[in-house]
Amino acid sequence: MFRKQFGNLSRVSTHLSRNVLAARVASREAEMSTNAAPAEAATAPPVVNEFRTGVGNPGEHSDVQIGKFYTIPMEEKKQIFSGGGLPKQYEQQIKTFTEACLMVRSPALELLNYIKRADLSKPVVRYVLYGDNGVGKTLSMAHVLHYGMLNDFLLVHVPWAPNWMKRPKESANSASQEGFIDLPFDAAAWLVHFKTQNSKLLERLQLKTSKEYVWSKRESTPAGSSLIELVEHGIARIKYASETTAALISELKQLATAGQCKVMVAIDGYNAFFHPITRIFSDNKQRVSPDRITLTQPFLDITNYDWTNGVCILSVDKIAMTEGYMESYLPRYLLGKEGFEHLDPFVPVHVGNYTEKEFTSYIKYYLDRHWISKTQPGFEEQLKFMSNMNPYTLMQLVRGL
Amino acid sequence: MSLRVLSLNLLKNNRNFLQNAVRNSKGPGAQALAVAPYATQVTVQATPAAVQKQKVSKAMKAYLERAKEHDDFMKTQDLEFQIGKRHLANMMGADAETFTQEDIDEAIAYLFPSGLFDKRARPAMRSPEEVFPARKAAEFDETGRPFHSMFYTGKPNFFQLLHDIVEETNKLYDLEERMLRRGNKPDENQKLETAGFQLLPKDQLERVLVEHIADIEYQNFTNAMDRLISLPYSYKSKAFIERYLKPLIDQSKQLEVPKPKIDEQGRQYITTYECLRKTARADVTVRLPGTGKITINGQDISYFSSEECKEQLLFPLNYSEMLGKVDVEANVEGGGPSGQAGAIRWGIAMSLRSFVDQEMIESMRLAGLLTRDYRRRERKKYGQEGARRKYTWKKR
Repeated sequence: MFRKQFGNLSRVSTHLSRNVLAARVASREAEMSTNAAPAEAATAPPVVNEFRTGVGNPGEHSDVQIGKFYTIPMEEKKQIFSGGGLPKQYEQQIKTFTEACLMVRSPALELLNYIKRADLSKPVVRYVLYGDNGVGKTLSMAHVLHYGMLNDFLLVHVPWAPNWMKRPKESANSASQEGFIDLPFDAAAWLVHFKTQNSKLLERLQLKTSKEYVWSKRESTPAGSSLIELVEHGIARIKYASETTAALISELKQLATAGQCKVMVAIDGYNAFFHPITRIFSDNKQRVSPDRITLTQPFLDITNYDWTNGVCILSVDKIAMTEGYMESYLPRYLLGKEGFEHLDPFVPVHVGNYTEKEFTSYIKYYLDRHWISKTQPGFEEQLKFMSNMNPYTLMQLVRGL
Repeated sequence: MSLRVLSLNLLKNNRNFLQNAVRNSKGPGAQALAVAPYATQVTVQATPAAVQKQKVSKAMKAYLERAKEHDDFMKTQDLEFQIGKRHLANMMGADAETFTQEDIDEAIAYLFPSGLFDKRARPAMRSPEEVFPARKAAEFDETGRPFHSMFYTGKPNFFQLLHDIVEETNKLYDLEERMLRRGNKPDENQKLETAGFQLLPKDQLERVLVEHIADIEYQNFTNAMDRLISLPYSYKSKAFIERYLKPLIDQSKQLEVPKPKIDEQGRQYITTYECLRKTARADVTVRLPGTGKITINGQDISYFSSEECKEQLLFPLNYSEMLGKVDVEANVEGGGPSGQAGAIRWGIAMSLRSFVDQEMIESMRLAGLLTRDYRRRERKKYGQEGARRKYTWKKR
């Protein structure tokens, strides 16, 4: 994994020559890898027109940019989203369009505003994104994640929590806690994701563990070893991945509270942690509720308000539930009593359908990418009627145009 | 009929005179004859005794036998009907004297409830005159001599009708010529209004004529009538023409476009009730200055998940170029998604008539937007896998 990451860095120059929009990244990358050519870094300013903005830093986005697209450099996209975090179909679209463009939308801006103004020395604020199916909760979260990465937040990102409850790779009885279930592969996969997102920052910050973790008779991680070592142990010894995750997260909480780092927690489909129906079965073929899964606890723990220097961005989603529990998209319904009380108080952020401006901007973008080629008069009105300006429905509709 | 037979008896000695009389009665009497419906008198009264003494032709004898048989049959049928009616009235606890046909229908529907789909297949009790088809009265006298000059065409009533039409036409031609010579023009105000009317369909015409006619003969009739109607002075023969016209009540009613009402926000609106498709029932309200908002049972268009259903709703709006100009509210229940979408589509199209011009309405009608879809689910048949599909045939 490590080698792969370095491999990426050394390949920066080749990427740059291909990606003209990566001027800003190039300057940053140049600090890290010496072999990046400075001459190439200054080429071609990003394209700016009525539906694109040249401002690539989410921190600088304001109401002026609403409805416009900004480009995430491929390098950064790879770093943040290689382990998931963008919807699959959006990922395909990015591949087709050969650029990772995100629209600046008001829910994400609202969230960014809150985060920028938040006093990090106070207990963490929980933001809950909610909205109907396909309105862009995940992409709003992606936008904020990009901001977090650029602003030296350690990302604790769960791309889609229901994956653990609905299609676990493997389940095993926990060795440390009686009656609990481990998801070793999922935990290890998450650790890999954590490492991809944060390895650069971890190297820079040089964070150390506060206590010794004894995994077995022969294996232990001594106090004062770096967090990377802890993560790598979890990846190498998959059996202990769940426990490593718990350890890592409690360490992060402590370090953040101590002011050594900032942490951004982003969990998509957070309500899955409170939905009693899972597809994990115990030895006696009984369904295991999420509170009996070792992986759940650290993430519930980190969304508590008993620490500082961090932000929690959570999204609640109808499709994180199972059949029969999808009547409403409101947080109280989706989280249930228990989950709502766990999060209370939180800041709800509603994500809605496109506005008129965003809709026209999106159509223009699709036309620009030649994704829509059959344009009969009034097709925009028809699309608006058919999709009700719902982003996902629109994406589905224009597939055939 | 009997009167005529009697008069023929009296005049029998003088054949020539008789022939003249018949010919004479053709002239001025033809009008009177044409006004009276053709040969609808069904039963023949018992033949006068005087006739029986005369020499009777074989054809007449056979006819009289048949007529008597039919009379007797009808008499017994009528008697049975009256008795049945009394019984029914007693059963229902009503007065037998004032028991009408409507009461009979009600009683039958109550006593013999039927699940049969076709109304004609359900049990019924009607007077024998209605049940048994009308029969032609004798067309010839007892010597076998036909009354009607066109008897040997086989369809005297029909050809008489054609004859009358041509006569009327010729009369109008004459009139036109005379008027032209005098320099008069046909009165525009009196022009015959045939919109909303149609010529009698073939089956109804057959009932009027008491004769079976072929398709091509019916076409001859319509051609002749069309020519007569198209004449500039056709209003002069209005009485004649109207006997063969039938008003198109249903369609003319549908052509009537309702006037939009005004709601409290000052917007025009039209509500269409009873929008049907399959088993779905909807009522649709369309409001005119709108933004293209659509509400279905309180939800937006995401009420329908499939693309096809949304397209169903899009079509009338897009077709009439009212997309984004009107608001639609619909309440729908019953049926499945496609049925509900179809019902709302019809409702939208019907409501939109009030907001578009006549040309567009006609175009919408031709596009089939204003036509109700009465198709229903076909039942499964026993011995088959479905409505049409058969079980897989296996040799062994």
